[in-house]
Amino acid sequence: MTFLAPHPSTVALLLADARLPGGGHAHSASLEPALRGGMPPADVPAWMVGRATTVSLVEAGTAVVAARLLADAGPWAPEDRDAPPAGGPDGGVDLGADLGADPGVDAVVRAWAARTPSPALRDASRLLGRGYLRVARTLWPRSAAVRVLVRHDAASRRPAGLTTGTTSGTTTGTTTGTGTLPRAVVLGAICAAAGMPPADVVRLTVYDDAQTAASALLKLEPLDPLAPARWVLDACAAAEEHVLRVAACATPEDIPSSGAPLTEGWAEAHALTTQRLFRA
Amino acid sequence: MPETTPAPVLDGTRPTRALRLGVAGPVGVGKSSLIATVCRALADELRIGVITNDIYTDEDARFLRSAGVLDPERIRAVETGACPHTAIRDDVTANLLAAEDLERDFAPLDLVVIESGGDNLTATFSPALVDAQIFVLDVAGGGDVARKGGPGIGRADLLVVNKTDLAPYVGVDVDRMVADASAAREGRAVVALSRTDEASVAALRAWLLGVLERFRGGVHVAQDPGPMAPHFHADEEGGGVLHSHAEGDADHGHTHTHDDAHEHAHEHTPAH
Repeated sequence: MTFLAPHPSTVALLLADARLPGGGHAHSASLEPALRGGMPPADVPAWMVGRATTVSLVEAGTAVVAARLLADAGPWAPEDRDAPPAGGPDGGVDLGADLGADPGVDAVVRAWAARTPSPALRDASRLLGRGYLRVARTLWPRSAAVRVLVRHDAASRRPAGLTTGTTSGTTTGTTTGTGTLPRAVVLGAICAAAGMPPADVVRLTVYDDAQTAASALLKLEPLDPLAPARWVLDACAAAEEHVLRVAACATPEDIPSSGAPLTEGWAEAHALTTQRLFRA
Repeated sequence: MPETTPAPVLDGTRPTRALRLGVAGPVGVGKSSLIATVCRALADELRIGVITNDIYTDEDARFLRSAGVLDPERIRAVETGACPHTAIRDDVTANLLAAEDLERDFAPLDLVVIESGGDNLTATFSPALVDAQIFVLDVAGGGDVARKGGPGIGRADLLVVNKTDLAPYVGVDVDRMVADASAAREGRAVVALSRTDEASVAALRAWLLGVLERFRGGVHVAQDPGPMAPHFHADEEGGGVLHSHAEGDADHGHTHTHDDAHEHAHEHTPAH
């Protein structure tokens, strides 16, 4: 039986669809922290454009670089329809004892972490990364790119006599490598598995962030549900002039370093509150 | 489609992880209090962890921590993005990751209890998240609620009718309510509970230990109550059949697939 792969655009649609069960519904793309931090709701459209042209590009660049790196991981594993099901903790992947943290992946994660100064935002992104990895290993179990990350993730969790720290339920401390993978890196692996063009990876990342905020806004403020849909398109349009530049990123050093200090401060304050609808 | 998912291991070897038990039911029926009761009754013999799904994050977690029945670190709150229903059924990711973390951080655990944020009568756990689930009602919600049915009331592994000590004050006949519930459940387990009634707590405790024993023995199979209320299928002759998509359909003498030629007149209870 021939293995039919979906078109990369179809995979982009799947990933952009909030109905995909990857854990994203409990996140607001920093919107709840911003509103609780005092940002007037009237500023949301401008704030969304701001994200689309700063922090979203950090995420997008990280995904693009990860995808380029992991596209070199080799061909898809031979079809093995008798392989164990992909639902287990290791996704049916053989975690050979000597295969572990991948130095190339670590370099991408370090570059991303250096551009994401807020520990709360890094924690939230790593939590989303775990959810995304469940999606990846279940839907693309034979992708070499995904297998590299599954092994990397397993290595980072393997206790080696060192302590594993946790904060509010999220694993942060690790024993090898750079720890739990952030969502952008896992997204890169999925995009590599799907053969998605880099420019589409950027657009997908920007869109997903904007739509996440737009959807959360309806839970946080009273307004016409169609209004934020307009703002999503506006934010994506504002990012368009950056798409090709970010799509050209090839090394960790190339990843944009456009930050949003106020967002980072709000995220830190939000992580300490006890009345949250959204994780971050 | 509701489906039946096997317990982690059914080949005679023992499952390696804790039993995951869901507790669902409308707001205010005493889900947190019931979990505190379970912890109090079993904390000496079982290693327990708890995950709460408050709509506003950690109210329930704080209640349980303050109850002093469990090490506060073993009680964690998970945000649900204002969709407690989604977090236990359509996208269980956050709860699944939290359960994995609890089990890893406090290994080995015997039991992880996941408390749903109070939702409506249609909210049930996916078998992808829990091995068994308790649906909770209380007498103060009205004696007729059990009769109205719904997937949780009809097909959860256990239905608890809570706060029976309040029955005289709210004019509810507990025996009648339990009889209605038992009828709606076709004989599945019902416990009329008051945390001040030791016999009822013992019944709850015995039920839970029974499930745990079957789970550990590798013979427990997670059941999905299904998100849908029983509904009506018209057939070409103008007749029809009322059934649910839960296991046990065969009891209705009706084999059904969605590929067949019948006109379907579904009256689904919406999932949200």
